[in-house]
Amino acid sequence: MFAYVIRRLFVGVIMLLVMSLVTFLLFFAGPLDPARFACGKNCSEAQQAQTSKALGFDKSPVVQWSDFVKGVVTGRQFPDDPALRKAAPKLVTDCPTGCLGYSVVSTSTVNKEFKEAIPVSVSIAIFAFIMWIIGGVLFGVIAALFKGRLLDRGIVGIALVFFAFPTFFIGQLFLQFVAIKWRVFEVPDYMSIAEGGIGAWAYNLLLPAFTLALFYMAGYVRMTRAFVLESMGEDYLRTARAKGVRQSRVLFKHALRAALTPLVTMAGLDFASLLGGAIITETVFNFNGLGKLAVVAVNTYDLPTLVGLVILLATFVILANIVVDILYAVIDPRVRVG
Amino acid sequence: MSSSTPTLAQGVGTGAGASGTPFLSVRDLKVHFPTPDGVVKATDGLSFGLERGRTLGIVGESGSGKSVSSSTILGLHRGSRAMVSGEILLDGTDLLSLSDEEMRLRRGREVSMIFQDPLSAMHPYYTVGNQIAEAYRVHNDVNRKQARARAIEMLDRVGIPQPDRRVDDYPHQYSGGMRQRAMIAMGLINDPGLLIADEPTTALDVTVQAQILDLLQDLQKEFNSAIVIITHDLGVVAEMADEVLVMYAGRCVEYGPTKQILTNPEMPYTWGLLSSVPDVTGDTDARLVPIPGNPPSLLNPPTGCAFHPRCTYRDKVPGSLCTTDLPELTPAKSGGFHVRRCHLPDPAAVYAEEVVPEMQADMTGEPIEETEK
Amino acid sequence: MASIAKRALAAAAVASMAATLAACGGGGSGDNSSAGDAAKSGSKGGTLYYYINKPVEHVDPQRVYVGRDISNLNRTVYRGLVSFPADTDPDVANKPVADLATDTGTKNADATQWKFTIKDGVKWQDGKQITCADFKYGASRAFATDVITGGPNYILSYLDVPEGSDGLPSYTGPYKSSAAGKAAFDKAITCSGNTITYNFKKPWPDFPLAVAALHMMDPYRQDKDQGDRSNYQIFSNGPYKLQGAWSKNKGATMVRNDQYDPSTDSTEIRKALPDEIVFDIGKSQETIADQLIADGGNDKFAVTGERVPSAYFARLTGAVADRAVNVQSPFVDYVLPNFKKMTNPKVREALAMAANTKGWIDAGGGSRAYAEAKSIVNPSVTGYQANPAFTAPASGDPAAAKKLLQEAGVTTPYPITFTYPKTDTADKQAAALQATWDKAGFKVSLDPQGDTYYDVIQKPSNGADVIWGGWGADWPSAITVTPPLFDSRPNLTKNSTGQDYGNYKSDTFNKIVDQAQSAADLGDQTKALQAADEQLGKDFAYIPLESQKFNFLRGSKVSGYNNTPASAMYPDLGPISLEK
Repeated sequence: MFAYVIRRLFVGVIMLLVMSLVTFLLFFAGPLDPARFACGKNCSEAQQAQTSKALGFDKSPVVQWSDFVKGVVTGRQFPDDPALRKAAPKLVTDCPTGCLGYSVVSTSTVNKEFKEAIPVSVSIAIFAFIMWIIGGVLFGVIAALFKGRLLDRGIVGIALVFFAFPTFFIGQLFLQFVAIKWRVFEVPDYMSIAEGGIGAWAYNLLLPAFTLALFYMAGYVRMTRAFVLESMGEDYLRTARAKGVRQSRVLFKHALRAALTPLVTMAGLDFASLLGGAIITETVFNFNGLGKLAVVAVNTYDLPTLVGLVILLATFVILANIVVDILYAVIDPRVRVG
Repeated sequence: MSSSTPTLAQGVGTGAGASGTPFLSVRDLKVHFPTPDGVVKATDGLSFGLERGRTLGIVGESGSGKSVSSSTILGLHRGSRAMVSGEILLDGTDLLSLSDEEMRLRRGREVSMIFQDPLSAMHPYYTVGNQIAEAYRVHNDVNRKQARARAIEMLDRVGIPQPDRRVDDYPHQYSGGMRQRAMIAMGLINDPGLLIADEPTTALDVTVQAQILDLLQDLQKEFNSAIVIITHDLGVVAEMADEVLVMYAGRCVEYGPTKQILTNPEMPYTWGLLSSVPDVTGDTDARLVPIPGNPPSLLNPPTGCAFHPRCTYRDKVPGSLCTTDLPELTPAKSGGFHVRRCHLPDPAAVYAEEVVPEMQADMTGEPIEETEK
Repeated sequence: MASIAKRALAAAAVASMAATLAACGGGGSGDNSSAGDAAKSGSKGGTLYYYINKPVEHVDPQRVYVGRDISNLNRTVYRGLVSFPADTDPDVANKPVADLATDTGTKNADATQWKFTIKDGVKWQDGKQITCADFKYGASRAFATDVITGGPNYILSYLDVPEGSDGLPSYTGPYKSSAAGKAAFDKAITCSGNTITYNFKKPWPDFPLAVAALHMMDPYRQDKDQGDRSNYQIFSNGPYKLQGAWSKNKGATMVRNDQYDPSTDSTEIRKALPDEIVFDIGKSQETIADQLIADGGNDKFAVTGERVPSAYFARLTGAVADRAVNVQSPFVDYVLPNFKKMTNPKVREALAMAANTKGWIDAGGGSRAYAEAKSIVNPSVTGYQANPAFTAPASGDPAAAKKLLQEAGVTTPYPITFTYPKTDTADKQAAALQATWDKAGFKVSLDPQGDTYYDVIQKPSNGADVIWGGWGADWPSAITVTPPLFDSRPNLTKNSTGQDYGNYKSDTFNKIVDQAQSAADLGDQTKALQAADEQLGKDFAYIPLESQKFNFLRGSKVSGYNNTPASAMYPDLGPISLEK
């Protein structure tokens, strides 16, 4: 198992290297010069060239990428200009090992940006995850138990509606009516636990997390229902009943156990990608998480932040994959190694 | 639709004369499933009886209703859409009249069942020991440790080596034969009076099959259980069963002591089954040769004798009796408790004159072709 | 994912580019519905909320270059030598008044030297006096173009510092510069007590306008300078200061600066009535409009620099309409004939004659969204006059245009392509233009461009015949409009058309520009610029389409609300106050 994890981690690092390189190449394959964007109005060619140099965009993408990798391993200084460091050390930003770059747009290190955005995204993700897992599994099981009856049809139908509506729409609806028009809730605005305590933190997360959870919940209701129905047809459930096991126990110990296994995989991966930010929800509710950060970074041509995000997201997904695999081995004895 | 006379069926069976009602007595059992296309009559008027310590073999093709009938004895139909009528008397209690909870308490304790494919019949996420112990704990007020000890004891009894270690293995870590042994341990852990074995050897290697059957017979002697063994393999029947019940399209078509059924069958369907076994007392490996034609639809069974579309001796029956009238279960010529459902005026003669010579010819001729399973 | 990201990235770049290019207006016309509120004298106190959608790019005085942000910072934290008064009348608002300086400056005879004296008692938020050295240091930062990027850089071409071989000044800012460069800079800006003297290499009669309209000449404290890292830092000398830091994504809260002395200031510029101002960044335009329409809670005390989306126009009725303004922006949209392709002046005239600008406006939302334009210069700019060349009726005169084409002696239909940045609205608008042009004898093919619009039209090889553009003045002088857009000398290079997308190249026009740029007197300069615009009209170098209008909402408890040319027609924070 240990060797397996090490091997997976090694492959993950290689993947991250390749992905970051591809991101660099793609960014510079575009037809626009990012330097012009930073240079501003009335920018002469000479100034644009100078800006390009100041941002390091004059180097080839591969060189910039290797600088990036070096930064991750050994740390970097921004700007990387010994003359400036000598003349005005105050101007130079130190970015220690693990450095994901320096965002010219935010005038801060990418790491610092992430430090501010990650708690927001993680909070939403955790909140939404709890809501959708509880709701999704609960309603999925109920639907499966009442298969074909009105209750089942109702649940599946409503789930389909929420699944079909874009998160953007539902989020806007909540924001416009529940918060702005009816004022059932204050317009949510992220507040960290340090700022406002657990209560304020949770209160502000409720609407965005619920918006996000609805979409996932809809999917999980349908999946849980399908998995439970599938496992209810399994031979080993008949065995359990033939033993005289109580029906409730048959359902919760035998059927759910089997049905939840594939859900664990999906939930793990969904959660991981959510950690990387819920772009639409965060944008609608103006929560400055990783998703919003990505939108702003794209809008402002912020290459270092984009690269950092790609790496961060990929890391989440790679780690989640490994965790899910390990978890799977714990849940399903058949896949245990050795 | 009328069924065979219950009195006749009731009379069949070894213990009938002595105590009046045998340990297990099934009377006019009907299991119907309503579907959007109509009613599927999976079992339509089945009656038989069985004493403790004896074994009944139920034989038939897939879809003949044999598994449905046995599941119904266990009450596994409950909670489904199945419509069940008739009587299932176990030790004098009508199982069909019990509440769900009363039936549940009997399941696994008085009636147990072991299934065809032990791999899919065992939960992949729980250890074998856990699953066996669960069967014990459901019906006995014991703690985890005691249940585990009992599971180990049973594993040992069914011949699992190092049972104290293997008890913590998962089903996938067992071989096919060991899994079936474990299933048997699970079935017998509460010392039930009736054990239903649904194709217990079909999924197993040939060499393992015999061991499992031997084990079942040994345990039967030890626990004095009644066993219903469901199979399509006449070899298994020959080895195990004291009585045989041949099912076709949800009905009993021939029923009697094993020896009589195997030597003097009086129903063309039984002949078809027998034709596939070159030597009923020898090789248990022989499989059924498909009888020409397809098993009948239970939704729309043929009129008259359900077997008539596939019966090659139909022209020996006067008129169109086969297609219009359902033959009654009538005593066979060989006497005893042997009954069959056939319009042929003298099936015994047809068997002796036409079927037996053909079978002998086959034996000397080409080897029997392997069939689909 | 990667390909989507790239597309989004490119699209966003165009959008932001357009915003940068367009959002820098320094003036506007207040002849619409907003006037009147200023008369009420408001009371002190309360918290004002200012909603902004996208992150503010810079709050560093030497880098900020967006009209809205320039105005907001001027009214709150960054005072200049001179500032524009908060008045809806452009004639008043376009004349700078003294702020940190004792007067509006004195120039020498040829306007190559300007002197300002700094008031006594004007302080930084830490209580230190604002000195001449602070002003000099602020100006020096603009030269560090490798660190202080994105800001206005007019000072670079005016200040008397020699240029190096690369066309950039030999002085490269305060962080690292050659000794020669530093010496040159020290000679160009000199301090004598509280008096600062700027020496320019060419006349700059409108220098006070530039000082008032931008923050590039603002003072900066050397000990607070962290270069690029100062981008979101504000060290105030105005009535407010930051509480905590400016967060790029969330904004900031401003509270009163106790070191600010109102007696050194003019209430024409800023009254500083609210106790706190919260800049709230990140809500979408739709959310902002929803909140302000609902007018609940803090939204009663809110204003915004985000326009009401056109889908919300129908909801601006009743009481909501009283809280909405519809004012003309400082921007003008136009189309340019490509002089490389349309060489015949009669053909260009025909194009102008048949341009259905009314159809264009109607297709884009009508009079709520646009005002008619008669020149590429916005009416709010000092010296504006309708360009006499554009005599055609608003819906175009295809018949007259047809005649012109015949006179031109070209075969009709005359095929042309029209390129513009693609949006659904723009497609409809372009179709309106196309219809009358076709009627006149052109054969128009539309060429909507996506993400890379500016790259396409800046290519010297661009083959389009008619090109869309938009512009706003940096300060209320046409010197920041026609020369940057049509002077071929700085614009047309081997690789780019610069901002002269139509490849316009006229020695006559350039000569007039030289006159304007060498004029020592503002009046002379204005006259020359009027002549320059007339010359452009004669050549049909552009066809004005319209001037966009701003639709803004505000909360019901906001008073003293005005959109002034001084605030680029965004809400002017100078006179604003809150009702209890």
